[in-house]
Amino acid sequence: MSEIDNNQSGDTRRDFLKKTSLFTALSLTPLTVLKAADNKVDERFAELFEKIPLNLKVNNKAYSLKVEPRVTLLDLLREELDLTGTKKGCDHGQCGACTVHVDGARVNSCLSLAVMNEGKSVTTIEGLAKGEELHPMQAAFIKHDGFQCGYCTPGQIMSAVACVREGHANSKEEIREYMSGNICRCGAYPNIVDAIQEVKEKGTAI
Amino acid sequence: MDFFVDENDRVDGIEKVTGKAKYFAEFKLPGLTYGVLVPSTITKGKITAIDIKAAKNAPGVLDVLSHLNKPSAAGYEAGGGSPMKIFYTDEVFFNGQPVALVVADTFERATYAATLVKVSYEKAAFNTDFKKSIADASVAKKQGQPPYVRGVADAYKTAEVKVEQTYEMPVETHNPMELHGIIADWRTNDQVTVYAKTQGVKAAQATIANVFKIPQENIQVKSEFVGGGFGMALRTWPLEIATIMASKQVKRPVKLVITRDQMFTMVGNRPAAYQKIGLGATKDGKITGITHTAFGQTSTYENFTEGVVTMSKFMYASENVNTNYYVVPLDMSVPIWMRGPGEATGAFALESAIDEMAHALDMDPLEFRIKNDPETDPMKNIPFSSKNIKEAYKLGAEKIGWNNRKNKPGSITEGPWKIGYGVSIGVFNASRGRATVKGILNANGSLILQSATSDIGPGTGTGMVLIASRLMNIPVEKITFELGDSSLPPAPSQGGSTTLSTVGTAVNDVCVSLKATIAELAANANMSTTSNFVEVLKKNNLPMIEVTKQSQANQQGKEYSMYSFSIHFVQVKVHNLTGVVKVSKIVSVGDSGKIISPKTARSQMVGGAVGGIGMALTEEALLDNRYGKYVNNNFADYHVPVHADVPEIDVIFIDKPDYIVNPMGAKGMGEIALIGFAGAVANAVFNATGKRIRSLPITPDKVLEG
Amino acid sequence: MINFQFLRTSIVKTALSLVAKDPKATFIAGGTNLVDLMKRGVTAPEKLIDINQLPLKQIELKNNILHIGAMVSNSALAENAIVKEKFPLLMLALQSGASAQLRNVATVGGNMMQRTRCGYFYDTTMPCNKRQPGSGCGAIGGYNRMHAIFGTSESCIAVHPSDMCVGLVALDAQVVIAGAKGERKINFIDFHRLAGTTPEKDNNIQKGELIVRLEIPVNNLNKNFHYQKVRDRSSYAFALISVAAALELKDDVISTVRLAMGGVAHKPWRLVAAENFLKGKAATLANFEAAAKIAMEGAKAFGENDFKLKMAPNTIIEALTVAKAKA
Repeated sequence: MSEIDNNQSGDTRRDFLKKTSLFTALSLTPLTVLKAADNKVDERFAELFEKIPLNLKVNNKAYSLKVEPRVTLLDLLREELDLTGTKKGCDHGQCGACTVHVDGARVNSCLSLAVMNEGKSVTTIEGLAKGEELHPMQAAFIKHDGFQCGYCTPGQIMSAVACVREGHANSKEEIREYMSGNICRCGAYPNIVDAIQEVKEKGTAI
Repeated sequence: MDFFVDENDRVDGIEKVTGKAKYFAEFKLPGLTYGVLVPSTITKGKITAIDIKAAKNAPGVLDVLSHLNKPSAAGYEAGGGSPMKIFYTDEVFFNGQPVALVVADTFERATYAATLVKVSYEKAAFNTDFKKSIADASVAKKQGQPPYVRGVADAYKTAEVKVEQTYEMPVETHNPMELHGIIADWRTNDQVTVYAKTQGVKAAQATIANVFKIPQENIQVKSEFVGGGFGMALRTWPLEIATIMASKQVKRPVKLVITRDQMFTMVGNRPAAYQKIGLGATKDGKITGITHTAFGQTSTYENFTEGVVTMSKFMYASENVNTNYYVVPLDMSVPIWMRGPGEATGAFALESAIDEMAHALDMDPLEFRIKNDPETDPMKNIPFSSKNIKEAYKLGAEKIGWNNRKNKPGSITEGPWKIGYGVSIGVFNASRGRATVKGILNANGSLILQSATSDIGPGTGTGMVLIASRLMNIPVEKITFELGDSSLPPAPSQGGSTTLSTVGTAVNDVCVSLKATIAELAANANMSTTSNFVEVLKKNNLPMIEVTKQSQANQQGKEYSMYSFSIHFVQVKVHNLTGVVKVSKIVSVGDSGKIISPKTARSQMVGGAVGGIGMALTEEALLDNRYGKYVNNNFADYHVPVHADVPEIDVIFIDKPDYIVNPMGAKGMGEIALIGFAGAVANAVFNATGKRIRSLPITPDKVLEG
Repeated sequence: MINFQFLRTSIVKTALSLVAKDPKATFIAGGTNLVDLMKRGVTAPEKLIDINQLPLKQIELKNNILHIGAMVSNSALAENAIVKEKFPLLMLALQSGASAQLRNVATVGGNMMQRTRCGYFYDTTMPCNKRQPGSGCGAIGGYNRMHAIFGTSESCIAVHPSDMCVGLVALDAQVVIAGAKGERKINFIDFHRLAGTTPEKDNNIQKGELIVRLEIPVNNLNKNFHYQKVRDRSSYAFALISVAAALELKDDVISTVRLAMGGVAHKPWRLVAAENFLKGKAATLANFEAAAKIAMEGAKAFGENDFKLKMAPNTIIEALTVAKAKA
């Protein structure tokens, strides 16, 4: 069993390419490849080394991917998996628009490298409803008009569901505090709080 | 049967809560590439060299655009330097100006390659210091609006009681939650589709046509869902043009989503303002003179003005009023209207001064306002089309518990907190423009309405569907309103609280026409004129009927003065030791004619109040004048209000139709929801503490030091 | 962001050696600060060692000492039953920081390691001695509203942004650090540094070392305590001033007192002199005021943050007053 749990080499790409023993194994001409790496031109080749495997579940669907380590979970969802319901609002963990659940906990997907989510289960806004049947929080947001432009809404809803599940929705004041990581520039806050409070008070398991 | 019920939900609610609503950046086009901008790191000067070698050699990079490879834009060759021509010259006008655009096959690669572009500059001296420039005669000021005088200028100076004060506002940024950007996709050499974030698809289409000198019909602008605008998406910004150029150059669709810090410099802001108000009154509380002089910030390369002093001309019954408004060109990016625009800036100053005068007179500020409320428009000498603000004052005062307020500041305490109440008025033009709507009435019972208007959040479609539902007696779920596509019948941009009035009137006209046609068809078929349209169409063997109507701008502006009004009441708590201000109660009263969609209308008022809390207490873009650069250009340090800042908000509507403005009797409310709010907070802080903070935002330090 | 390498390990020793031998390698825990810094180009490690799988997530009480694994999340710590009961001051400090989402990911060790929020530090086009030693300090003579009033130097006036650390320094925590030569233990108060002439160093951890655990001795400060945070908005903002206060009262006489302040220095700022003054005195407003005055000795402001000279003592008084009033 390796001490390193993922299979990326400990060396930079260039260092890696310099290891002739590996080149032999790969049946490649060292000089050509090395030159390519130095000039950063052979991207097709580079991908072999720069992307690393990632296995995760998103909305109960299993994915086996290869991604660059610098790709965030947010960009993976939006650009690779076409799950654009999760929004990019600031890309720095300062607005909450990118909130998703990772193994049940709400997190800002913009500050999470995708590769840090190996083996985890991610739920996005697209995974909240059961088919055509809206999740009670989604229905409550519509009823209380908990949005205007709708851009922060998926993040607000994911955060709201977690807020109730965590047991932090016992009063308006508590909801406001525990929802403060989700900014809404249209200012739908009071309506969002009403929606959350209603879902909480109904007591339905969410 | 009335299908129009009070609690109608938003027509696009399900799309928005399920993540299915697609905003501009979410269209997955084959061969999509990613653009990332390189912003200038100097504030003024010239670009002497751009080294793109490393960037171009970086993995996945397709091209790097800059003025050095001047991408094709026929329109730029025709004279004039304004609006700013992107990648056209070596000139740098402001810090953060886009100077290059990197296009790569993935977002990560484009982002990395952008860091490899090395730009060399020749720096020039610059000035971004707004406050210093006002007093500095060497900084040229421009007249922002013609001077206005009614009666005697500066009459306040000789009044029995006078107030003369200065009010300051910092730069604010719109910062909608959705980052700005565009996807550009040239279908052929002279046909382009753009997925945009815009408040006006037709305006965007016209701008693009002008820059690239191709026919408007060759350009399709799609922008169905817009993640907030607040004014910043009222124009097509240079960065959008850059992306369209890039797509032409690399012959692939290019997507550009700018970063949050770029939102502070590339897409406008609410300009900083410095205002002097002089108020004169008789001892018994009659205003005898108002003088309002304002300075606003603009840029050196494009001019921007707004209605900062407008409200002072007609809001109060004073025989003597004079106003003046100047703009100060600085080496900063050009501002753009931000919700409530200049009127919100002006209202803060005027409504603070009114409160100061009431205090000087030892009068209840509500009573003082009512006493000076004009019956007719004192600027134009014509009646208001409708104005119910006395009723609004009364309803709001009751709801907030105004009679708990003590006129003497600092009278109410609650532990470490001091409690205060404040009031302020907001007003905005209730204008109406020209719009075209197409209506398609189908034999299957559905109605499709189309217009190239926008919805940046207020619920345009919801309002239009409700108007049609009420007029046509068709259930809302059978009506679709299509918007946000330049190929639809033309409509103006969504701005200045005009959409409901303007597009709604065209919807109204379409429905009236459809009903007449149905009645005619019914008569032809010997049916009752009140027959259901489905039966009528079937009987006439028609699968559908189609009507297109263009509504005209309101023609009665010479006879009536048309405005929407709001009254904001707030209660604040101010902490004795820490200076923290909490808005603890809000009552906003809207006097904006008939309410078409109560649920979304209420949300708009609520949203305005939240924006008002930001303006009053937290928002300030801080520029370090040594570098010409913002130092808090992010959501952690530029504080927009969060959940915990916002109490319950009561919204009251007068809900009386004004049929002079339009056939629905409804007036816009996007601006009035915000205008005046900050003044109400400042007035409440004074009432709580006796401290008059004349510089926004009212942060804890100002309260402590005040 | 460069396309760094990414390695994951579940063995502490391996993690240590991977970072120790490579100058361009660094640990990544929650990533809530590091990823942000990497996106802004403030730091550009070429190799990340993901330590989220390390077995450092325990919270246990052993011999009246609370052991907290460095990889415990901020929310897990705030929600922990022992913390709620015995160290509620720490709970309050944790809840005052960041947002629910960030606290779910941010770890105890990462919170301690977070960099300042100074705008000049974050903007790579501005001067900053912390980011780029020798480039100057943008905040001195610039916007320094959020900046330090204690222990400043000519090279840096940045503050440490953590709330949790203000609670921990008040609670006499100790930090257990693992390195190639085994574990060492330092007092929390000695973990972070003042800027001095080396503002690039936030703390006294060495390259290749890793925080593995915190230890907090049980105390009697779980009745009269308060964490008062003053900020520009009601939540999700960094402190202008924060104060952690805890009292042990016997008939209104203060037998033990802990006071620490955030938002005022390059490190969480323990108010030792004020504590010494209060010890053995009656818990009266007059004594709180006198203590606050003592706490402010040596404070120096830089223009935009002059207000802190008033807000800081006021906040101390408020925190003590609320702490005392708690039944």
